[in-house]
Amino acid sequence: MSYMITEGCIGCGLCKRNCPVFAISGEPKQMHRINPKRCIECGVCGRLCAKGAVQTSKGVVLQRVPKKDWPKPHINEKLCSACSICVDSCASGALKIAMPKFKGDIDVAAELTAPEKCVACALCEKRCPLGAIRLVPVPAEPSSAAAQKNEAKPDAGRDAASAASPESKASEEVRV
Amino acid sequence: MNLPVYAYINLSTGELEKRTISESYFKKYIGGKTLAARLLLDHYPPGVDALAPESVIIVNTGPLNGTGAPSSSRFNISFKNVLSGGVASSNCGGTFGVMMKRAGFDGLVISGKSEHPVHICITDGDVELLDASELWGLDAEKTQESLPKHHGKLVIGQAGENLVSYASAVSGERVAGRCGVGAVFGSKNIKAISAFGTAEPPVLNKKKFDEFVVKWVSFLKKHPMTGDCLPHYGSAGLVNKANANWALPTRNFQRGHYEQADKVSGETLADTRLVRNSSCVSCPIRCERRVMLDGKEVKGPEYETLGLFGPNIDACNMDDILRLNYVCDILGMDTISAAGSIAFAMELKEKGIADFGVEFGRTDNLVDVMYKIANREGIYSELANGSKWLSEKYGGKEFAMHSKGLEMASYEPRRSVGMGLGYATGNRGGCHLNGGYLALLESVGALSLDAQSPRSKAQLTVFMQNALEAVSASGFCLFSAQTFVPAVFFKLGPNHFITRMAGRIMTFSGPLVRFILNIAPALWINSFYLLPHAEAVRLVTGIRMYTGQFVRLGERSFNLERLFSLREGLTAADDTLPDRMTKTPQVKGRADTVVPLDVMLPKYYKTRGWDKNGVPKPRTLRKLGIEV
Repeated sequence: MSYMITEGCIGCGLCKRNCPVFAISGEPKQMHRINPKRCIECGVCGRLCAKGAVQTSKGVVLQRVPKKDWPKPHINEKLCSACSICVDSCASGALKIAMPKFKGDIDVAAELTAPEKCVACALCEKRCPLGAIRLVPVPAEPSSAAAQKNEAKPDAGRDAASAASPESKASEEVRV
Repeated sequence: MNLPVYAYINLSTGELEKRTISESYFKKYIGGKTLAARLLLDHYPPGVDALAPESVIIVNTGPLNGTGAPSSSRFNISFKNVLSGGVASSNCGGTFGVMMKRAGFDGLVISGKSEHPVHICITDGDVELLDASELWGLDAEKTQESLPKHHGKLVIGQAGENLVSYASAVSGERVAGRCGVGAVFGSKNIKAISAFGTAEPPVLNKKKFDEFVVKWVSFLKKHPMTGDCLPHYGSAGLVNKANANWALPTRNFQRGHYEQADKVSGETLADTRLVRNSSCVSCPIRCERRVMLDGKEVKGPEYETLGLFGPNIDACNMDDILRLNYVCDILGMDTISAAGSIAFAMELKEKGIADFGVEFGRTDNLVDVMYKIANREGIYSELANGSKWLSEKYGGKEFAMHSKGLEMASYEPRRSVGMGLGYATGNRGGCHLNGGYLALLESVGALSLDAQSPRSKAQLTVFMQNALEAVSASGFCLFSAQTFVPAVFFKLGPNHFITRMAGRIMTFSGPLVRFILNIAPALWINSFYLLPHAEAVRLVTGIRMYTGQFVRLGERSFNLERLFSLREGLTAADDTLPDRMTKTPQVKGRADTVVPLDVMLPKYYKTRGWDKNGVPKPRTLRKLGIEV
């Protein structure tokens, strides 16, 4: 199953730049498309799209979510074995294995070194064999928690598109 | 059942074909080097040279690759050994294997030769052959930088392009080093293979498997070897242990002890050069060293590199070793064989037979020599052929330290005679891992069996070879099997009464081991304290895999590889060691410091179920279910 880009796409390329698995292709100002073989349905494209042009396979339009409301990975250092599966999976380079705290320190864990790069695709959470990494909502007003779950109502994205101005600039800074 | 999917690529015709491995093959051979050995027997045209266009090379994974199990990123490359003419399999921990699996393929069977340099690009179940003319001539590091950043990559450096007999293939900073895999890629004009995809490898019993992995990781973390020794010192931590037991090859295996060995030990490396430890993806052991070299963080050396570029060439310059290790990696050359060939050339000079401009005790010119070997410049082209070739041209076979053409790793067989038997019988040649790695039980580990006694060594070698073979075949790193030695011996230390007693008892365990090998399939148990890998295979594939069947899988693997080597012209006469190991005592006046190979070898053949000529008996093959 895969997400789809619909007619509303203006070809801004934001989704293409931020897709964690490089599944989106397309020329600037032309409609982009998602490679169905590669899409992992993480919803990053839909969360970014100001035009509400991304649908799930069931036709549910994904709603835009301001970047400040995206969940962030939280690492349980006690569980983490620093096996670097998450670091390897993170295309945006937001995660790294921590440097040793002192000489000869071997008890290191993964850490979120560049939270601003994180696109909240949740690949790290999905692939972590130990369940040591979880995406948690940022501590903000309670309404944002519902938004980040992408439980969007059909056609709600269009309204968000017209309202998008300051936040969209912020989200466009992600991986430019 | 999820069966493995292989891509058959013919580079001469450009034909690409997707084939699913049959269920009977999958159940019998699982994957990795075992399945690859079977496919080599099926597809390799008999008698064809390793570097001929018709030769076949198989890059494949095991069922556990990419599942998230600890130390499960190792993929395998099987081909005809460039140095020995027998079978070769090389194992690598880079990201390529996992990525190839996510891209929808469990393996590649590559034949033919491309007219121009080629980059095989595998994405989401598709294989493309791209032109790589622009990459040709670049080193392994630059080649990888030129490929898409997110792909898992497998590339060769200049050494592979110039068909250096011990060229390696590089994935990330991990290397499939031995047997000349880079030369085979070079001969087919394959500069790079890269893969990317997002399909998660199938796990049959996901819930149980996840619980199992959590327990296994904590078991590995608690074990003194995988949770303490390896993360702190890496394999480099073995230098001082080997040196203390006179098992550290010195001056081209003339001696086994080097006074200044501590200067190149793992402890010194950790104290003075180490920045942090790191790992292959998915590995909680984290034995990789990261060191600073000329202001850049690079991969540090393993024990074998330290030993062979250090004491074995009578030198102890850590900085030069780090540089040589790095240079070999970017040129795409095996450090063990390169250092072994150089040590042989040094002894040729010492004896006044030939002069390659290298001499014992001197390492400052070796980086330059490495570049010349990789580019096959002038007389250095001869060094690129390995020590067997050199000894055939210049003489000195008695001190050319190889078995079947493959240079020996840094364990002195005369102080670890089981390792000597392993070197002699290993399918790859003088390889410690394919040879059963008895050195770990004899001279460099916590347990110490009587290292000079041939007693029980044949049976233990067979057992260890089988076990390691099966661990490799399922996609695991052999270091994850080090928990096989119970933690208590590490805690007590090698000199404790109980540890010594255990070692002594194990020296007499031969008949018991042989009995266990014979009744293996009846061992319906899985335990963390034996081989947890068997349980992992069971949970992932649904095949009823228990410790006994797992060891039997290894036996099948070893015999298949043996059959391939025999078919390609190797004989029992190749199961041998240089005269220095079997005839010259390491310590003058101590007749027991030689490898009593003639005592161990017949026992070994018998335990394996082979005849006097080292050929597997029909009965053995029937028992293993191998059809030729």
